[in-house]
Amino acid sequence: MRKWKTALVLALTVMIAFVFIACGKKRQAVIKIGVNAPITGDIPKVGEGTKYAAQMWLEDVQKAGGLKVGDQIYPVELAIEDNESKPDSAVKGNTKMISEDGVLVIVGPQASKQAIPAGGVANDYQTPMISPWSTNPDTTLNRPFVFRGCFLDPFQGPVVAKFVKEEFDFTKAAVLYDVASDYPKGLAEFFKKSWEEINGPGSVTAYESFTTKDTDFSSQLTKIKDSGAEFLFTPQYYNEVALIVKQAHELGFNNPIVGSDSWGSAETVNLCGADCHGLFFSTHYAAAGAQGATKEFIDRYQQKYGYVPDDVAALTWDAMRLAQQAIESTGGLSGDIKKDRQAVRDQLAQIKDFQGITGNMTFTEEGDPIKCAVIVRISEQGQFEFYKQVCP
Amino acid sequence: MELLKAKTLSSPVAWRSGIRQAFADVPALAWLLGMLGAVLIEYLWGDTLAVMLYLPKVPPLFGATLVLKKPLLFPWALLYGLLIYVLPIGVIARVSAATANRVAKALERLPVSVSALLHLVLLYAVLSIWTENSDYRLQVSKLIMIAVMLTLSINVINGYMGEFSCSHPGFMALGAYVASVLTLVLFKDNRLFGPALLPESLGPFLFPLVLFIGGMAAAFGALIVAIPSFRTRGDYLAIISLAFLFIVKSAIENIEWVGGPRGLGGQPHWSTLPAVFAGMILCIWIINNFVRSTLGKALNAVRDNEIAADAMTVDTRRTKMVAFMFGAFWAGVAGGLYAHEVRHVTPGSFGIQMLAEILAMVYFGGLNSVIGSIVGAVSISMISEILKPLGLYKWIVVPLILILVMIFRPTGLFAFRDFNVRKILRHKG
Amino acid sequence: MAFFLQNVINALQWGSFYALIALGYSMVYSILMLFNFTHGDIFMTGAYIGLGVATALLALSGVMGVVVPGWLLLIFTIVLAMMLTSLLGVLVERVGYRPLRDAPRASAAITGLMIGIILEYSNLAILGTRRLNFPTLIETTTYTVGGVFFTNKKILIVGIALLLMLALHLFIQKSRWGMAMRAMSFDYQIVPLMGVSLNVIAPLTFAIGSSLAAAGGILYGMAYPVLDPFMGIVLGWKSFVAAILGGRGSILGAALAGFLLGFIEIFTPMIFPSTFRDLIAYSIILLILTFRPYGFFGQAHSTQLRL
Repeated sequence: MRKWKTALVLALTVMIAFVFIACGKKRQAVIKIGVNAPITGDIPKVGEGTKYAAQMWLEDVQKAGGLKVGDQIYPVELAIEDNESKPDSAVKGNTKMISEDGVLVIVGPQASKQAIPAGGVANDYQTPMISPWSTNPDTTLNRPFVFRGCFLDPFQGPVVAKFVKEEFDFTKAAVLYDVASDYPKGLAEFFKKSWEEINGPGSVTAYESFTTKDTDFSSQLTKIKDSGAEFLFTPQYYNEVALIVKQAHELGFNNPIVGSDSWGSAETVNLCGADCHGLFFSTHYAAAGAQGATKEFIDRYQQKYGYVPDDVAALTWDAMRLAQQAIESTGGLSGDIKKDRQAVRDQLAQIKDFQGITGNMTFTEEGDPIKCAVIVRISEQGQFEFYKQVCP
Repeated sequence: MELLKAKTLSSPVAWRSGIRQAFADVPALAWLLGMLGAVLIEYLWGDTLAVMLYLPKVPPLFGATLVLKKPLLFPWALLYGLLIYVLPIGVIARVSAATANRVAKALERLPVSVSALLHLVLLYAVLSIWTENSDYRLQVSKLIMIAVMLTLSINVINGYMGEFSCSHPGFMALGAYVASVLTLVLFKDNRLFGPALLPESLGPFLFPLVLFIGGMAAAFGALIVAIPSFRTRGDYLAIISLAFLFIVKSAIENIEWVGGPRGLGGQPHWSTLPAVFAGMILCIWIINNFVRSTLGKALNAVRDNEIAADAMTVDTRRTKMVAFMFGAFWAGVAGGLYAHEVRHVTPGSFGIQMLAEILAMVYFGGLNSVIGSIVGAVSISMISEILKPLGLYKWIVVPLILILVMIFRPTGLFAFRDFNVRKILRHKG
Repeated sequence: MAFFLQNVINALQWGSFYALIALGYSMVYSILMLFNFTHGDIFMTGAYIGLGVATALLALSGVMGVVVPGWLLLIFTIVLAMMLTSLLGVLVERVGYRPLRDAPRASAAITGLMIGIILEYSNLAILGTRRLNFPTLIETTTYTVGGVFFTNKKILIVGIALLLMLALHLFIQKSRWGMAMRAMSFDYQIVPLMGVSLNVIAPLTFAIGSSLAAAGGILYGMAYPVLDPFMGIVLGWKSFVAAILGGRGSILGAALAGFLLGFIEIFTPMIFPSTFRDLIAYSIILLILTFRPYGFFGQAHSTQLRL
């Protein structure tokens, strides 16, 4: 009994002593940046790319000793929250980063189904948020504090339609897209609209869909082939692209297949092989043909993590840099987090001609960037070759 | 006597029983008073203490979020918990026990609802003061309460009636969509449905009605599963309910005017703490009464032996239908609350992943038990919140915990327990 | 006509996977009366094991400088992967199901579900988040007959699947072990008293079911060469639908229902807009079960099982 009591008293004394020592300590001012990423759940690869790009950025900043805002240098911390690829977790993550961690700006979430609800939270708490990957207009609509780092669907659809018309002079198109995924669906709709504007109604002869995680597209492809389409537009991610292209060839569909920026990953060629050679897609970022800062980023990333970064990593990198530029150009932080968030938001909205690795950006009223698109051809060696540039 | 006391306090086990003895006569009322005191103390001095203890902020979930992120701070969070929660609750509960017992005794002469109401008011006060401190805390609490409703409602079907229903996310989706469409049509100007029909200020008052209609929609949807259940059971019903889940998801994806696969957003933020709290309490109260009623006992009879139940004049068809509709109704209400908390719903989020989570909660907590559902929902939500920093490994640790629980307590932690309000609120000394 | 025949071929291939996976569900189901919800993820693991074996074999033949024909490699891969995956099946039974044999069946379903999640995330943790490419063992050749396109892979897949089903059928009907399994499926509480040990038969069932899933996984890898740790979830749940639809514990029923599900999923987008695929396909399943509440070959009495 005595032993227990002695131990307890001793422990309490030590603790109280610590309390008194701690009293004199002051909290140091740091800049915290939140990252809301789908590290677990359906799309762990997207989460990993986000995390790695953010950590690479942090390394750079730490090497420089911190962020210099006005005439003071602040240390930087990342608060990375896993949104499990679920909307409620994304909302929770944002609330936590805003109210507990006191972040100045949030980068992420990536997919629209998390970015839309999370953007609502960020906007309510007047905290700037940049979603690098979300293409749904609702993410930034009527939300002055929410920005995005990628194209909107209405832009890329017409680009592809115009390109195909000019290049091949086709009149009959087929579309195959994932109906349950936001990005492909939006892009498919806008492509259909602009293709029919150019070639008249009925020129999209097959408009077929499937559901996320499907791997067999034979039924849809048979229908597409049967419809007499001259080419197929499929705005899918690289893992599905490999399957679609291979199955199309196996079913005897040998017409051109055209894609969107979601093809822009080195994995496309890895998984698809010779089947994908000679195909075109539109993008903002061409890994193989990259030059300057883009190439530097790709090389560093590959050296560090062992594979060529996806578009999501590049877009996250740009979003981090955007946040950095906005923070730096506030000209000094007041220490009052609310005021500082407002200041960062104002700076973000004013950014003009930001030199990103995924292209130059200027934000519109709605918080969407204006960028140029490039058309890339996959060469016979499996390299991404710059083919043409298209600006809105 | 002195010797005996010395002996009993000489080991940790004895300490524990000693503590249990010391608090044996503390009624629920006194505990609630203690909690009220603790949260008030935190509200007033929590921040100051947190600064003293090196903590960056008041630890939002008892330091749980710190364990893995900043383990060095965790002892301080523990100390904080000890000073802010454990000590005040213990002291106040002990001191007020005598008075509280007298009050509880007096309340026992009144109808139980009066006493329950008093306790609930206190509980609500505790919650609202506790969540005042941090919005993260508030949100986590609300989502946990919604999870409690879901878990309870699936327990009616999977626990009390003993079917293996997989359609719960589907019911929830129906409720969420119907409630969202109603609020958007009636109270909000938006892109999909045009201008609002009623002033938005009316909204919060009509919100319960909206939730009710959402719940009813889910209940009618449940008929699709309930009617085939007249002729089939168990495994076949499991896949009927699974098919229902796929059908609901695919149907919503094809209805363009509710946003299709892109989802429906822009719901007003009406799932406030009082709304969710009231929803959860109503759900617990009504489901608890339901399962203790004759109809509830009929459910158990159908589960244990349908033919025998039929022979004993149980109307098995009606029982099954009512259970399905009842479970679905509350899932729909929970869905409506969820939609107005997250403020954006997509059909994709009501899928297999959510099903696995709900099933985990109900089987972890315990079948056929209201307490079990509450425990299951709270603990699974908390565990996954605590382990989040583990990243991928979280999804190895959480399933392992569940497997261990299943192996050592195959029916869950608190299965087959009665939830007796009178007993809980009783005076104890 | 060519359009129709083309879709028949598509459906045969797609149905083979459902049928192979559904068989595993059905086997475990008929003997232990359990849903083995790990099965979809065992299928996934089988595919990854197949990938590992195939890569190792290719590397080995490269090092030794021998040109091994593709079909031989394929056979080796399938056999080795089936063996390795059956060990996994036995392990799953030992860890997740045996301790719960007397527990409510739903609890075992939950442990199964959880082991599945562990398999998925262990895979992610070990192999990283990259999607892996299944190596090409057999070069694709495309044939055309009257406008209908098919490849040598398609014939191989359907052929191997049918062969495995036949082998399973013979094993269960003709061998002593098969007889023991059939006996066990009548009543797993009484038959052990006759000297057939449930602790032998249950692991055997899991081993056979898992090896079929592994074969399915490799064939799947040949047809759809992009592997993903979550690929077993949807496929697994849908095959579960097929297994039950066939009638509880009926091998023939499970195989037929697997092919039926394949046909429904391929033919619905052929006739209706493809966005309605799941809606229509599962409404059909729901209708079938409403009017045939015990599946195709199931019987109303739960103890009357057949294998």
